[in-house]
Amino acid sequence: MTRLLSPAGSRVLFLGNEAIARGALEAGVSVATGYPGTPSSEVIESLATVARGRNLYVEWSVNEKVALEVAAAASFAGLRSMAVMKQNGVNVASDFLLHLTASGTRGGLVLVSCEDPGALSSVNEGESRYFAGMLEMPLLEPADFQEAKDMTKWAFELSEAIGNVVMLRSVTRMSHASGNVICGKFPAKTRKAVFRCDGPIMDSQTGPMISTPVVAKHLLRQQKLKTVQALFEKSPFNCYTGPARPDLLLVTASACSLYAAEAVEMLGLQKRVGILKIGTTWPLPPRLVSGHLRKAGKILIVEEVMAFLEENVKVLAAGDPKLSKGKTFFGKYDGTLPFAGELNPDIVADALAKIFKIRRDALSPSYLEEARKTAAMLPPREQTFCAGCPHRASFWSIHNAIALDSREGFVCGDIGCYSMAALTPANGYWTMPTLHSMGSGTGLAGGFAKLAPFGFKKPVLTVCGDSTFYHAVIPALINAQHNRADVTFIVLDNQGTAMTGFQPHPGIEVNALKESVPAVDIAAVCRAIGAKVTVCDPFDLAATGAVLTDFLAEKGLLKVLILRQACALSPEKKGKKTFEMKVDEELCLGDACGCNRLCTRIFRCPALVWDRKKKKAAIDEVVCAGCGVCASICPQKAIVKTPVASAFASGG
Amino acid sequence: MRKKRSSQSRLKKDVLEQSLCTGCGACVGLCPYQMVYKDRTVQLFDCDLPDGRCRAFCPRTPSDLPLLRESLFDALDATDEIGPVKEFWIARAKDAGLRARSQHGGTVTALLRLAMSEGWIDAAIVSGRLSEREPEGRLIDDAGALADYARSRFWAAPTVAAFHRAPEGEGRRIGVVATPCQALALAKIRTAKIDGYDKGKTLSLVIGLFCGWTLALEPFQNLLETYQLSAANLTGMDIPAGKNILELHTAEGPVNVPMAEVDACVREACRYCVDSTAEFADLSVGAARYGRNSGEMQNWNQVIVRSETGKKLVSLARSRGILEFRETPQEALHELKNAAAEKKKKALARIIAKSRSPQNLLYLNPGDTVVKKYLKT
Repeated sequence: MTRLLSPAGSRVLFLGNEAIARGALEAGVSVATGYPGTPSSEVIESLATVARGRNLYVEWSVNEKVALEVAAAASFAGLRSMAVMKQNGVNVASDFLLHLTASGTRGGLVLVSCEDPGALSSVNEGESRYFAGMLEMPLLEPADFQEAKDMTKWAFELSEAIGNVVMLRSVTRMSHASGNVICGKFPAKTRKAVFRCDGPIMDSQTGPMISTPVVAKHLLRQQKLKTVQALFEKSPFNCYTGPARPDLLLVTASACSLYAAEAVEMLGLQKRVGILKIGTTWPLPPRLVSGHLRKAGKILIVEEVMAFLEENVKVLAAGDPKLSKGKTFFGKYDGTLPFAGELNPDIVADALAKIFKIRRDALSPSYLEEARKTAAMLPPREQTFCAGCPHRASFWSIHNAIALDSREGFVCGDIGCYSMAALTPANGYWTMPTLHSMGSGTGLAGGFAKLAPFGFKKPVLTVCGDSTFYHAVIPALINAQHNRADVTFIVLDNQGTAMTGFQPHPGIEVNALKESVPAVDIAAVCRAIGAKVTVCDPFDLAATGAVLTDFLAEKGLLKVLILRQACALSPEKKGKKTFEMKVDEELCLGDACGCNRLCTRIFRCPALVWDRKKKKAAIDEVVCAGCGVCASICPQKAIVKTPVASAFASGG
Repeated sequence: MRKKRSSQSRLKKDVLEQSLCTGCGACVGLCPYQMVYKDRTVQLFDCDLPDGRCRAFCPRTPSDLPLLRESLFDALDATDEIGPVKEFWIARAKDAGLRARSQHGGTVTALLRLAMSEGWIDAAIVSGRLSEREPEGRLIDDAGALADYARSRFWAAPTVAAFHRAPEGEGRRIGVVATPCQALALAKIRTAKIDGYDKGKTLSLVIGLFCGWTLALEPFQNLLETYQLSAANLTGMDIPAGKNILELHTAEGPVNVPMAEVDACVREACRYCVDSTAEFADLSVGAARYGRNSGEMQNWNQVIVRSETGKKLVSLARSRGILEFRETPQEALHELKNAAAEKKKKALARIIAKSRSPQNLLYLNPGDTVVKKYLKT
């Protein structure tokens, strides 16, 4: 039996995301949807593993908006449901969310947003907490693993109590850290899906689920918040620790409350600083917060990333002149804490030290010296494509085609492992100068392609992954085709949502529940919109290069190249080499070759190494994935590939 | 110590960006960093090495032309207008079948076939067929196949790159048919003193082609399109004397394009070229076109014999009856020299217009007496 289904009362070590999943199970969730995105993916992944036994429908949706729509349908039919996404996924879902918070919900509906302060695995550090304020829905932020579980369960109850979506926000350090959780009971009863829509228009339990009459429904949404505030006043997720009359009140939420507690301890300020940890961050419970604010003259607000809590605390204080009189607020607006990036206990301790004018040597000089020495011993590492990654081969061909074309063509980038072509330009051989949100590469490319009347002469290419194609590229692609945009559109089809852990997508014949489902063929979609389509193996550099140079030369239309080759880390490929690679030391001329180390200096597969003793190229057999691509770049044909018999025997 | 600039970046700045690149292929095929695509020389990645052969062999990097002449030719044969002249002939292939398949008199193909059958060369490098998609140099080691490549195309093929790529073998000898810029590159290759490089020794015969200019591929393709043609439709092309047209041969018959339209397609680099007769070849061959009665000269070639090798080959061709000769009027050589001198003057004027100084002649040396003579003062 999986840990996720541990019996009530048992103490289990859960990943933060598993704790959220467990909370949903204890709440009796029936439908859980999401789109993969770090740090959110494990919530849906873990629920999928127990779905069959719990009569649970789990879906990797095509994108976050659709995920929320699928979950909302379940809510409208009276079931408890949840949609899970990363921070910027909420932006994708936000148009539906705007209308959903207006129509209201029935069965408990929880929107889980797992966010990435500091952008550890994102190209943004977006904040979805502002959506809670903007769309007037309650926001909960767990500060530990038990809370992650308990709060999730309660979020469903709260959603049902007010008839609206509840947002639960986690961060990387919560979602991806692990802690002990005491499990609760699973509900005995299961619900039946029933959708009533014959009631009065203002009755969201029986009437039509629509956002009109707009003003009346808007007022209704705001009334619900009064109920929420009343519930939040009594919530056990808000707590105060510290002296009755502290010098400074530290208001915090989420993982930051752990940093705050540690920082106070580090500085020995337990008797001078009180910590108000808020779990119900929006709308703030006014009586509770005012009561604590009265305790101290100095207030420090500690949160990631923007000053959402700080602003709301200040608004609350400003509403009561007696409360705000003589108070000093510290936080992001006064520069005590940074407005960007992740926090940690040191940053919080520095902020406290500054306020209390305490001298703080975080680390002793001898320790720093040792650290410097140790750091120098570490081999330099760069963010790069794996050995055997099809993207390296694809970008090699893209680069060369652009160079041959000689019009300074460029690639509009998109979101996936191939984003690294923009982050570490050497990966993409300096071809990819733009990178934004999912699908934006294609939209931008279509835009650049229409600039010819203004003197723009560069040819435009764009790349997207297979999962990204379904997620947000199709409208932009149709736009390019319809508007006759001269774009070379390349799908880097590595047969799965590789970057987040091979979740299935609509191009795969298996869904989240491991059921057999029809795959939607990318090539067929592109052909259907009228584009010229070619499918190629990126490991065949000659064929790929020829298609790309032809595409660049063919002007005035949308051209689609699908480069299909599974990710080197995909379950079907991992650990299986197609070729045994070897450098023929007789043929490799080393530095005498005019190639000036093309393989290790330019191509830069991590499995290609320069043997300093022999002064020749060599293959690191442990790292090499046996894709065979480097054999076709060596001008001396010194890199030799031999087919591995077992790869064929096993069909690999 | 300041790092020496890479040869490749110097080539880029001094040749490619100055529009001096002739697309001869001298810098290609030596390394994986440079390629010719269509008729453009492309640098794929930064190679980062100084003292590259790419720069050493390029006909548009500065070189010591007097020294080249001295090491390859007899000083007594020197002329200012058309380089060394040992002999001058009006000749053509005796084989009428070959003539019919050739551009003019079939002299080049006849001489190559002879050199190959005599074992003077093992293989010949010629530019690819007209119908081929990408202009390329082809290595041919079957004398019988040479006639397939006998027709001229008027755009550059990176022939020298094919020489670089040609496999080396014990005692292997190669002949190359070269335009003036390619012949200069090959002369630099033949005389190069580079550690570990001796491939120049395999270069046994260079037959030069007279050349007024070449066409830049892309504008020319666009021009063809206006005539509802593509390069694939062409079976041949010629500039008949005195008509001021480019004649395009197609399966459906000839199409005449006014020279003014063609002129707009001429490769920029060709406008800075001072050599119309391939002065650094062993012998040079061109269409015979002098005098008013040029029709009579159709299907004959003018042949300038420059080196001992060239002389031996032509005399063997004569004794074997491979070539036939006709009387060579004095004014033929005179006209050729005048035309060549005109080209030198024009090119030098354009070079000065580009460099904005008579002291800076880009790839040429203002101290070279031959250059000095044609500088407008």
